[in-house]
Amino acid sequence: MSIFARRVVFWVLVACIVAAGIMLFAHHERRRGRVERLADSMPIDAPYTDAEPVTLDLVNDANGTVTAATRQIALPTDSTARARALLDHLIAEYALPGSPHPLQPVVPVNEVFLLPLPVVGHAVTEGAQTADGHSATTLVASSNPNDPNAVQPHTPGGELAVIDLRGSFVNQPPSGVEVETLTLLSMIGTLHANLPQIEQVRFLVDGQSRETLAGHADLLRTYPSRDTTTPGAQTDLR
Amino acid sequence: MFAPQTAVLGTLLLTALAPGLARGQTASTSPAPATRQTPEPQSFPVAQPAAQPAAPAKPRNYLALLPAPPFNRTTIVIDPAHGGADNGSRISDSTVEKNVTLALAFHLRSLLTARGFNVVMTRDNDDANEKAPPFAPLTLDDRAGIANHERAGACLLLHATAAGSGVHLYTSELAPSSGETAAGPWLTAQAAWVPQSQHLAARLVEALTRSRIPVVNGAASVRPLDSLTCPALVLELAPHTDDPDSINDDGYQQRVAEAVAGALVFWKNTAQPPPHLAPGEPNATAKSQP
Repeated sequence: MSIFARRVVFWVLVACIVAAGIMLFAHHERRRGRVERLADSMPIDAPYTDAEPVTLDLVNDANGTVTAATRQIALPTDSTARARALLDHLIAEYALPGSPHPLQPVVPVNEVFLLPLPVVGHAVTEGAQTADGHSATTLVASSNPNDPNAVQPHTPGGELAVIDLRGSFVNQPPSGVEVETLTLLSMIGTLHANLPQIEQVRFLVDGQSRETLAGHADLLRTYPSRDTTTPGAQTDLR
Repeated sequence: MFAPQTAVLGTLLLTALAPGLARGQTASTSPAPATRQTPEPQSFPVAQPAAQPAAPAKPRNYLALLPAPPFNRTTIVIDPAHGGADNGSRISDSTVEKNVTLALAFHLRSLLTARGFNVVMTRDNDDANEKAPPFAPLTLDDRAGIANHERAGACLLLHATAAGSGVHLYTSELAPSSGETAAGPWLTAQAAWVPQSQHLAARLVEALTRSRIPVVNGAASVRPLDSLTCPALVLELAPHTDDPDSINDDGYQQRVAEAVAGALVFWKNTAQPPPHLAPGEPNATAKSQP
């Protein structure tokens, strides 16, 4: 074979190697793009909206007022996560220096559960047992819509929000009738302003029912969700 | 997608919520037959129904067996909140709520006794225990039971706080019932007395304002206010200066107590019981029995 022919073969082989390399690189890039697209479509974090105006009912210990305040906050789209995030943001606001209702910077809520009304079921009666050792139960609420004792929604789709507070939040100072009442009003009003489907609110502490928040405010009752702002109080549009 | 999870969560939550829901104002209040106490011959709950029926106690005072008058205008129940292991809120590094409420209660008791009232205190020392064996610590329901048995003309729940200044008065948040029928469940027994409680609060606001003591008047859900069957309110004492320890000032507490005692004298002469206890209608309560 002449030298010319050898050179031709050599350059052809070089060209083939380069082409194979380019094809391999392109294939690798295509594959990586496919994996990235797949990863992008999988939910890793809870879906959040863009920052949106959110109403927080903020209280002032000095004059005992509740004032609506607007903040730009990105919240989850899921209602349950949204309710929890709202309460986290609310308490974080009170933990800021110079807060008119100072609270410790702790996570206040274990979880928020939204239960569709009416709530119907049977509860285990404390301490009472039948002869065969089974626990007696009491009807919690009747499914009969005409039963005045049933926990019924005011409008179709109404929900009961069960807020499971953390013990570390409940047991922290300060406490007192006014302070604790204002804390509850702030939470109830904030939920009412942003999640109008909530009609009633119940509180648990670390998953258990408890008599009082920190020795004063009643946690055994079911609170109606309502606008808790003080009439005439100025809205904070910071 | 989440519906099955929600259903399971709902079932689990009902177990946790049930005791409260079963007693709550919007939930069913019918106890199981096994735990139902023998109904007392009165139209409103005096003490919380016990889970297990207690053994009948041997009566020591036969006068106590006579039916109590439905509305003792001259009896005032004072409940100094907290006590014993329960310190209440921390007012300052050296002051806790239970001591302030007890000190204010002593001021009130001496002033009211001097004005001819019969004063009943749920505790008169640091301990907050039952006055009979087994001397168990008083629960909030026990305190309400003590007050309800007295059929008092007024029940004052004393609290203290470092927040704000002056005196904070709270009546029940319950919607007032017509008062023509007996109150219902334990946790909403105060509903029949809410109008009287609001009138009492108004008298106290007037008296405290005349004494130049800052007053905040409102409604709150404070245990065991909603279980009381008397004109009842929460009186929360706050410091009168920026120093939280000023809440211990004897002169300040005396001034508050004098204003409250003066208002209660006026209240004694003007208070009217709810219609179901009004004199001249002896069958009013009987009619309301189921």
